[in-house]
Amino acid sequence: MQPINRMRTEFLSKSANESFARVVAASFAAQADPSIEVLADIRTAVSEAVTNAIIHGYGDEEGIVVLNCVLYPDLIEITVEDSGKGIEDVEQARAPLFTTCPDQERTGMGFTVMETFMDSLEVESKVGQGTRIRMTKQLKSR
Amino acid sequence: MNVRFSREGNSLVVMIEGEIDHHTASGMRERIDSKFLMEPVKNMILDLSRVTFMDSAGIGLILGRMNRVKLIGGRMVLRKPRPEIKRILRVSKIEELIELDA
Repeated sequence: MQPINRMRTEFLSKSANESFARVVAASFAAQADPSIEVLADIRTAVSEAVTNAIIHGYGDEEGIVVLNCVLYPDLIEITVEDSGKGIEDVEQARAPLFTTCPDQERTGMGFTVMETFMDSLEVESKVGQGTRIRMTKQLKSR
Repeated sequence: MNVRFSREGNSLVVMIEGEIDHHTASGMRERIDSKFLMEPVKNMILDLSRVTFMDSAGIGLILGRMNRVKLIGGRMVLRKPRPEIKRILRVSKIEELIELDA
């Protein structure tokens, strides 16, 4: 399937950019005219992925987060990448309610939310090199 | 981000306006917790009717406040969440823990 459009944006791992990233991704997806529910799902999943990159990928350090969106006729593919710490045990990180920072009221639900709100989710991570999250969502027309 | 407070009998009503994510949640947490400590109330009503976006940071915010309210034997109620907010409340199974005033 040939993409009909793509975009890439990168930004500093500042928490203020969480809202920037989800709005950008949803605006890009909106050109395929999906339902309001689909756009809300994309906003939420991107927010979770970018928050993970900022909190867990970079922590106290500052780095670059890359948001990449590829639009196909009826599907969007979104990747969120950081060059931070990486995840030692991806399976454990994806388990519902697993969190490395309960004291900050992190619920450990980020991956569960991404899995539930998107149609597919892949996590690639290398310790010391970073993490790449790839998600897809079907964009049914109204 | 905007948090406003009012009283309904023995309950502190917390009206949150705007978006709840990791960036906004910490400021909201501090404001709500200090107000709850200062007011002679036992229960908390979180009015979500003007929350336009919430991710799992919002779930953390709600559960954290619920634990504080429960510590003093109080009740926590979530008031009027919008449909898109209800969706994440359902996914988190928070609905099974907290009373919902739709």
